[in-house]
Amino acid sequence: MHKKPFILLFFIIPQVLWGQVKFVKDTLFAGGDSVVVTATRSERKLSNLTVPVTLINAQTIQQTGSIRLTDILKEQTGLTMTSGFGAGVQLQGLNPDYTIILINGEPLVGRTAGVLDLNRVALGNIKKIEIVKGPSSSLYGSEAMAGVINIITDASVQSPLQASLRYGTYNTKDINLNNAFSSKSLLYQGFYNYYTTDGYSIRPNSNNRITTPINRLTTSQQFKFNINEHASILINARLTDETIKSNITVSNGGVTINSNGNEHNTDANVSASLNYHFAPNFKTSFRSYLTNYISKQDLLTISGAPYNDLLNHLFKRIENQSDWAVNKNLNSIFGLGAVWEGVKSSRYDSEKLRKENTIQYGFTQWEWTPMNKLIIIGGIRFDKNATYASAWSPKLSMLYKINQYHKIRLSIGQGFKAPDFRQLYLDFTNAAAGNYSVFGSAQAQKVIEQLSSLGQIGVLYNNYYLLKALQPESSTGMHFSWEWTPSSKTFINTQIFRNDITNLIEVQQVGTYITGAQIFSYLNIGRAFTQGAELEFKQNLSNHIVLSGGYQYLITGDKDQIAQIKAGKVYTRDANNMSARLTMSDYVGLPNVSKHKAQIKINYLSQHGFFANIRIIYRSKWVVNNTNGNEVYDNGDDFAPAYYSLHSAIGKEYKNGIAVQIGSDNINNYIDALHLPNLAGRTYFINLKYQIKYKNLK
Amino acid sequence: MIKQLLKISFVVMASLELVACSKSETVTMPVVTVSTKVVNDLMADTVLGLASNGMPYSAGKYTFYSLENNAIVPSTDSASAKWDLAFMSTRILTNGGTSGPALGGAFIYTGLFDDLKTISADSVFKTDNAPTYAITTGSGKGWYTYDQLTSLITPLAGRVLVIRTASGKYAKLEITSYYKGGVTLPVSASDLEKLTKQRYYTFRYTYQSNGSKTF
Repeated sequence: MHKKPFILLFFIIPQVLWGQVKFVKDTLFAGGDSVVVTATRSERKLSNLTVPVTLINAQTIQQTGSIRLTDILKEQTGLTMTSGFGAGVQLQGLNPDYTIILINGEPLVGRTAGVLDLNRVALGNIKKIEIVKGPSSSLYGSEAMAGVINIITDASVQSPLQASLRYGTYNTKDINLNNAFSSKSLLYQGFYNYYTTDGYSIRPNSNNRITTPINRLTTSQQFKFNINEHASILINARLTDETIKSNITVSNGGVTINSNGNEHNTDANVSASLNYHFAPNFKTSFRSYLTNYISKQDLLTISGAPYNDLLNHLFKRIENQSDWAVNKNLNSIFGLGAVWEGVKSSRYDSEKLRKENTIQYGFTQWEWTPMNKLIIIGGIRFDKNATYASAWSPKLSMLYKINQYHKIRLSIGQGFKAPDFRQLYLDFTNAAAGNYSVFGSAQAQKVIEQLSSLGQIGVLYNNYYLLKALQPESSTGMHFSWEWTPSSKTFINTQIFRNDITNLIEVQQVGTYITGAQIFSYLNIGRAFTQGAELEFKQNLSNHIVLSGGYQYLITGDKDQIAQIKAGKVYTRDANNMSARLTMSDYVGLPNVSKHKAQIKINYLSQHGFFANIRIIYRSKWVVNNTNGNEVYDNGDDFAPAYYSLHSAIGKEYKNGIAVQIGSDNINNYIDALHLPNLAGRTYFINLKYQIKYKNLK
Repeated sequence: MIKQLLKISFVVMASLELVACSKSETVTMPVVTVSTKVVNDLMADTVLGLASNGMPYSAGKYTFYSLENNAIVPSTDSASAKWDLAFMSTRILTNGGTSGPALGGAFIYTGLFDDLKTISADSVFKTDNAPTYAITTGSGKGWYTYDQLTSLITPLAGRVLVIRTASGKYAKLEITSYYKGGVTLPVSASDLEKLTKQRYYTFRYTYQSNGSKTF
């Protein structure tokens, strides 16, 4: 066998695990043999996918020293991490609300203000991460509007026992233990992670910690029973439990309130599936899933008043999916499912009463290969919801292999995001800031009528009369990409995309109290777009060195605002602080979106298990606040400055199973406490790992 | 002490405007000279300090202002027709309705200060009727927005306060800043600075002394 050093990028074949140095063929250049499941809900080779997918494997994760999901996602083209309500991910310019996060195909729940804190996900046991860009509601339903991130844990047994210990700046410790067992009928994998940090303060002259002390425990248990050659049962259980010591400072109207206490979050999920192969061309799986996210904040403010906040999100799902290969050119899948979910929150009218929703859905997808060069996939899904309008989500995509060097992909699809419980049921009055209230749209009219009969309502705006059952937010996305592999050493993929979003749910004032305090609710009013281009490349500089990188160009806009600007109805302030008409050339678009984002990486790998990498991430300026007197983001507003951060790690894997790694993140020590609270200053880490070798187990 | 600067920024020569009175007769209006004045850092119940519970406190008093004389009016004259506008934090009173004994009123015009050359005949002036005011209060409703995240008050661009003065004459006014120094503080300013440097109005206005609605 001709040996070549393997390549360290997004597309490595997954069999190669850290600590087991094997030389494998460049699978990417040989045609992308890596298997992806998220794009089609069935196992497909990367080279046969019709939609844009980024694949990150365990080796890339480990060699970059990533321990939480946020660490690795921030290095991907088209993805930007956000801060505020935890670390979320912005995908191709769309907010964290619009990307569904799956673990082994099952969704994580427990979002705060639409954001799922991705620090919750430990990476110590995962096999790969698949990122599908573009609306994917035709397979995944709500939230798959910008795309899908699926974290896949390793069911195949590689080592009976491995342990790692990592120590880093700010007294950060990360301890992992993986154990595994396999026999002919049972595969078992257990994973335990303990993470603790003192947190850090990057605000000068302040004792406030930006990231507060955290203790976090994660475990995951995976069992696969092979009943016979036709049937298997897969059981996954996962628990994350974290305690965060809070020292929160809230400023409102210039009044600063300090609170001390604990935030405790528990995220538990269990799934079980039965897979049955009726025939070589027909298989079916029954899946059930239950997840519960409980978040509690117990704080004491300096005035002595307690502040308690509770969120309890329970989600249950049953699903059946059947895969039928009609003939060698035609594959189909069919699915049916039902979801029950309920949320209890202290921000609703009663924290004891669970707000509920049920969804029934069905989907189908057809994959047609009329000739070797062409694959066409069409799919559609219908979601029927009890508490908001139903949604149809179609998608059509194709791959055309022009020749061995060129491939083009084209996809068009619809995605949606259901109104969340907060938008339907929030019942929140902020006593700390002017006693304004926000009522979810499902109850706003009822609550306001009651308040009105008590004589508490001052004025009702026209928006009040427009309140009705919320529609899902929906997007239509188009992606076109061209993949070029001029030689086995070079890979270039370019992509252009556009998303048009309608029915955006926005907070609107619907009236005032008799005291003048504002009353808000949620209405479907916004229309926006995102569009841009992405470039990803890699180049083998030698047998040991690979250069790779990615770039995203992104423009966004609020369509209603653009119409207003074009009509000359939007004003800004000129250099002398006087009002002037805003022109389109000064319009910026949606907040927190950078026009340019890029990263470049150099990886070195010797034949003796030594590796080193240097990664640079760049993000251009982004607008954060309206400061010049209009409600549109323009060049006169407050921007966070452009920045780059430099990261590096080196390590060595010995044949006896021991591995050592040291690394440093944010080497250039870039700090912007106001806009990038999640970016600590320069940090260092050292990681030791030992694994017992275990050969040829499948 | 408040520094008041009177600047004659520019002089508008209201060009000979033709007003049709009847089908055969036209009347030529006299040449009107109006000047635009700038008032800097007019204190409007500024914060005096922080109480022991951390809450800011102030005197709770209005600053009365005469547009005609371009001067502050003593608060002892609050029940007279000597003032046209009264400022206290973000609230601005006109001298009429529930606020005063005179003919004052106002409405908010959306557009550019310089583009407002004539108050159209169908414009409706509102008068104060506490707790609602001719110059609407509230973020985004009248002349300013309040950002809860940054705790900053920003005057809305493209808003002109069209004022009927105490004596029934007309003025147009644009607020350009709510902070000492005439520029909205940066987002990064400290909380203390945001508290103590607020409630200083900088505005420009044009007062038409001849009683017409043309500037």
